[in-house]
Amino acid sequence: MGWRLPLRSLWRNRRRTLLSLAVIALGTAVSVFVLGFLENSRLQIQDSTVQQYGNLQIASPLLWEDTAEGFEYLIAPDVAARLDTVWASEPTYRGSTRQLQFSGLLGAGRLTQVITVTAIEPENGILDFADLAVDGRGLVAADTAAAFVGRSLAERLSLGVGDAVTVTLTTVDGAYNASPFLIVGIYQYSNEQFEQQVVFVPLAFGQRLLNTAGFDRVVVALDAVASTEPAAARVAARLAGDGLALEARTWDVLSPFYRQLAAYFDALFGFLTLAISILVFFIILQVLTLAFLERTREIGTLRALGTTQGEVFRQFFAESAWLAVLGSLVGAAAGSLLAVGFNAVGIEWRPPGTIDPVVLASRIEVEVALLPFAISVVATLLSALYPAAQASRLRVVDALRVE
Amino acid sequence: MGTASRFCHVRGERFLNAERLTKAYRVGGETVYALREVDFAALQGDFIVINGPSGSGKTTFLNLISVIDRPTSGEVYIEGEATSAQSEGQLAHLRKTKIGLVFQSFNLIPVLSAAENVEYPLLLQRRPRAERHERVAMMLDEVGLADLAKRRPNELSGGQRQRVAIARALVAGPMIVLADEPTANLDSKTGEAVMDLMRRLNEEHCVTFIVVTHDPAVSRYAGRRVRIHDGRLEEGERDGMAASAA
Repeated sequence: MGWRLPLRSLWRNRRRTLLSLAVIALGTAVSVFVLGFLENSRLQIQDSTVQQYGNLQIASPLLWEDTAEGFEYLIAPDVAARLDTVWASEPTYRGSTRQLQFSGLLGAGRLTQVITVTAIEPENGILDFADLAVDGRGLVAADTAAAFVGRSLAERLSLGVGDAVTVTLTTVDGAYNASPFLIVGIYQYSNEQFEQQVVFVPLAFGQRLLNTAGFDRVVVALDAVASTEPAAARVAARLAGDGLALEARTWDVLSPFYRQLAAYFDALFGFLTLAISILVFFIILQVLTLAFLERTREIGTLRALGTTQGEVFRQFFAESAWLAVLGSLVGAAAGSLLAVGFNAVGIEWRPPGTIDPVVLASRIEVEVALLPFAISVVATLLSALYPAAQASRLRVVDALRVE
Repeated sequence: MGTASRFCHVRGERFLNAERLTKAYRVGGETVYALREVDFAALQGDFIVINGPSGSGKTTFLNLISVIDRPTSGEVYIEGEATSAQSEGQLAHLRKTKIGLVFQSFNLIPVLSAAENVEYPLLLQRRPRAERHERVAMMLDEVGLADLAKRRPNELSGGQRQRVAIARALVAGPMIVLADEPTANLDSKTGEAVMDLMRRLNEEHCVTFIVVTHDPAVSRYAGRRVRIHDGRLEEGERDGMAASAA
């Protein structure tokens, strides 16, 4: 009777049960769909951020904190060999590549543009950006004075593959340096500002421009995004153990934009879920209060037969638990179906600051549905606490008097 | 049924008594007495009919001795144990194990079948499944409803519902069954059948029955008659059965 009585009570009041299930299911479905949408957007941005930064970057704290007056943050070439021993002990390590970044002034005819020169090891297999090429090609190992520029920058300065441009900069010694180079390719990236600002050159060429043999960071690729945090902790411990004054930073720490966006998505989902939960809570509270009120005489009978207050509470709470679980399950399924339909339509949207539209989609995964499911169950159970407690506390003799 | 043989040897022993039982309500600043200093004792195996007009305090008295209500003053003893200081949980345990109740409106649980309604007190006592099913079948057979075990209350006539209620009251082997106007919602022929059944079960199971009614026709089933008037109890006559019990 433990499960039979609650289930049959629900079945007896089918209309009210359906109303309750519909409210819970609707709330859950909306939450599942919205969370799936936000999660999908977040993962797209995560992929793009990891694509830009790698999983980890190793550099001097002076670089991260931007406190160096000159180029004290540069890492000496011999340190690269010592870092190899660090990677050897990291099980999730997939590869690494050195980078050197500095500012410069790009001149093309009478037009100039402040740029960030990112000197990379061409064809490093980790993070060489070659797959972003929309015209020409990415950098190759044989390149010397070659550049791979963003589409927006190329359009702004009317540049094309094969054009020669000049970059002016200050070397590590404080001297001015200027050098021509050839545009070998144009890349397309999701972020317009990145395209306008970042120019890739071969590391050797960048070092020659800056008059150094050093580099300022090592970009590390791991086997999976999920490996990042534990790997960062292990690498940091090894760096400290090896006496290297270097710091490991993860891709999300390196990207303030991602962190802000993730926090915004969390807040958005939190607010929406809270609003839905409050709505579900009060509607179910109202429905259950009325339902239990209508059954006052039945409660009196149960108590008169020797059912304890606790048993009455559990019985009525069990009804709500069935409602909560069934409603939330139906809602999770409905939310997933809604996502399937939405994804099939393939609506496109161009996010602010980006160049190409993205296809809007809602992620359909058990993990995505679990949180809204759990929140709906908890909200429904919370809403049942008061009416179930009221029902259990009824005086038997008063309850039996109710017609 | 095992219950009968268990209790027959104690026929005539005092099981329930009430001392100076009073129930008062405050109505519009005045104290209204539903029951005044009532003394009462029921012996094992009694079939007591409590008679009285509407508003005389019959149901109040029944509520107090079935420990679903507490007296303003006085005491109800069940097997010599005072009940007024007992917790709600302890009183629920008393009702579950020693008292069977039959209501005027049957008060069956609408979502359960006849058999499940009868099974409910056994579930509360956490009896094993096999024992439950055996006792339910036996009890439904005794009240003549073996063929209707799977019917829901709304598929049964008034008389059949009251039979289910009686089976429910007796199934867990209580020492006393308290019935509040058990024939009030039944036609006279069905009412008589129900009273016949209760009297038969009283004799077969040696369970004390206290029937509260305003219907004078029910009095003829009484082994002992008690009258309530204006909240006071007046002892009536006993028939041969009650006399032998006493």
